[in-house]
Amino acid sequence: MMKIYPIIAAIGLLITVVSVLKKSPFFNFLGLLTLIYGLLKSVGLITAPFPAQVMTMYMAMSVFSLFIYFSIQESTFEALLEPVRAVLADDNKRILRVLIVFIALPLFAGYLTFDKVKPNYEPPVSARIVHPEPVSSIEFRGKPITIIGLENPLRKDAANMAGNLEAGKKIYYQNCFYCHGDDLDGRGHLALGFNPVPPPFRGTDTIAQLPESFVFWRIAKGWRGLPAGSTPWNSAMPSFEDLLTEDEIWKVTLFIYEATGNKPRS
Amino acid sequence: MKKILLTILLTVVLCSAWYLSASAEDSQGKKLYNGWCAQCHGYDGDAKSYTDKFSVPKPRDFTMGTYKFRSTPSGDPPTDADITKIVRNGNPGTSMPPWTRFTDDEVKAIVAHVKTFAPDIFKDAGKPITIGTPPKASAALIAKGKELFNKAKCVECHGKAGRGNGEKGWQENFKNDWGDPITPANYTHPWELRNGSTVEDIYRTISVGLGGTPMTSYMDSLKDEDRWALAVFIKSLQEQRKLGVAIKIKKTAAIPAKVDDPAWDGTEYMDLPMGGQLMFEPRDFTPLITNVRVRGLYSDKEFAIMVEWSDKRPNTGADGKPADGVWIQFPEKVTEEAEKPYFFMGDKKHPVHLWNWKASDTGKVTEQIAKGYDNVADLPKQDVTVIAGYNDGLYRVVYKRALKTSTKDDFEVLPGKFVPFSIAAFDGQNGESGIKGAVSAWYYLMLEPATPLRVYVFPPLVALCVFVGGLSLSRSLRSKK
Repeated sequence: MMKIYPIIAAIGLLITVVSVLKKSPFFNFLGLLTLIYGLLKSVGLITAPFPAQVMTMYMAMSVFSLFIYFSIQESTFEALLEPVRAVLADDNKRILRVLIVFIALPLFAGYLTFDKVKPNYEPPVSARIVHPEPVSSIEFRGKPITIIGLENPLRKDAANMAGNLEAGKKIYYQNCFYCHGDDLDGRGHLALGFNPVPPPFRGTDTIAQLPESFVFWRIAKGWRGLPAGSTPWNSAMPSFEDLLTEDEIWKVTLFIYEATGNKPRS
Repeated sequence: MKKILLTILLTVVLCSAWYLSASAEDSQGKKLYNGWCAQCHGYDGDAKSYTDKFSVPKPRDFTMGTYKFRSTPSGDPPTDADITKIVRNGNPGTSMPPWTRFTDDEVKAIVAHVKTFAPDIFKDAGKPITIGTPPKASAALIAKGKELFNKAKCVECHGKAGRGNGEKGWQENFKNDWGDPITPANYTHPWELRNGSTVEDIYRTISVGLGGTPMTSYMDSLKDEDRWALAVFIKSLQEQRKLGVAIKIKKTAAIPAKVDDPAWDGTEYMDLPMGGQLMFEPRDFTPLITNVRVRGLYSDKEFAIMVEWSDKRPNTGADGKPADGVWIQFPEKVTEEAEKPYFFMGDKKHPVHLWNWKASDTGKVTEQIAKGYDNVADLPKQDVTVIAGYNDGLYRVVYKRALKTSTKDDFEVLPGKFVPFSIAAFDGQNGESGIKGAVSAWYYLMLEPATPLRVYVFPPLVALCVFVGGLSLSRSLRSKK
């Protein structure tokens, strides 16, 4: 569907070129507008598309600027208006007049009005901060733990790395995989039932951007430990401090980074 | 002497090269399997694994060499392509996901390693059956398939509507070769058909059966065209899920008094995919209810919400298993603010209303207020009524309440306002009760107001104005000429 917009832009460009050669300011005007519309909409192919309001604003600005441009010279302005006048008044343009002025334009205006006045019921959208500001310290089963600057103690224990990773793997598949996925891609077999859907650990936009202390905090406190602004009330993430020990959380964190090929941000 | 030495040297080099390359290939398959398959299927392929208690159905044990999903005749081993297909596509409705991250060579190595757990079975390669082109679905073919569905006794296990609720499927000996109790497939849920849900997939299943289960091969007992007719009929039973965030409830003169009133079938619905209650003990890692369908109607005074779900075996609490049940949950205060109660049973600051129904007491609903999963109290005044029914594998529960009740603090439902709701459903056969069950996220319902007058008036008016404007402009321009 999105791929239609570059085509629209190309058609606009074609009309512009032909109209410049044929010296028709009216079609030049239409062609440029089509080109601008097509280009603005094509932005959605590369990045987030412009919201409808912004689109309306840009298009209104374009119409306005083009109008000024074409009306600076009296002769150009006359030429611009000429086809409009012809359709409205020329005797040999009767069919075109009936089709455009008496049928298409009223229908189009009616449709635009319908689109504006029809009731549009949209459920409320709640804003949500995905990566909340980490807390400086937490209480883990009654014991204070400083989160800022905290590192995974198991990373230094090179001798037991394989064993710790295996233990972490077991913890992951007994506590996390049904939501976060067999492949740690956030597509566990129960994931579809929840909103927000569980985040993936693969890719560069979640744990790869986080220090391990953040991950420890999120696992330990789950939805209940989320600060206001992150609307915790929909999250299915348990507070794992009730279910896992400190050591176990470090092991599963170790496994999650290792299995996804990510390195914790320091 | 030199020649002999050279020959020996060459042989040693060649042999070690062959050995190294062979073992390197082995180790790649084993490495990948141990990394990504062993957590469920076990390091020795015997399904003694980390997840065996957390998955229903259980992960496959490869050591017996019995494969449920094949394209080869009953008794033959699956082809490499069959195993590859499962690795690539996964098994819908189970925890086996589609593994798309691996290269073809990596999958090949994994398949080779999986086969080593039962080497005897794979001595001779299985020959796949030919799957021709499926016939075009027509009313006549579906009718023929339906007839065969009864004649070939599919109905005894899979039930009349194909929801997997046939009587035979619930006998004590209904187990697979691995000793696990199993249930017949629910054809109406294509999203949980392990062997795929296309007509070809169904045809294949009917033809070669499912290894290690009571689903046998019908290759010899049914003609090819009959198996296709059956597959086309079974395909016609599949329902498509309609997922969304909000359901709009239409106005009606009177709300139907029965759960099976045909008026319900025409109403708009929304499907809610279900997760498990995983936040509080006892947790439910293996909920069997995967989907709940919601629809509604409202009149001048009342509104009704129907909750509908598949359950292969009804439990009323009489057989020692918990009773089936469902509840619908609303925030205590319905506002359009962003802040909703916790999605499962609320919290101290944000309580929720529960309309709690149990199959042990079909005509009754208990209105409760929950301030968290461990803080639930019955309300003194009950304003909700319920009608419920179980028919051929399908539960239907209809809750009804006045738009505005006389009870103080009860939430009011106004046309045009979105009301958050969520659902929890409990399958007694699966040992679910209390807070152990299938849960949904928050969704919205809204009573759709009558179309405002402006929609009928303004557009024609504007069109007329433009028409008249065009006409007069044209007239004046022409008269100037």
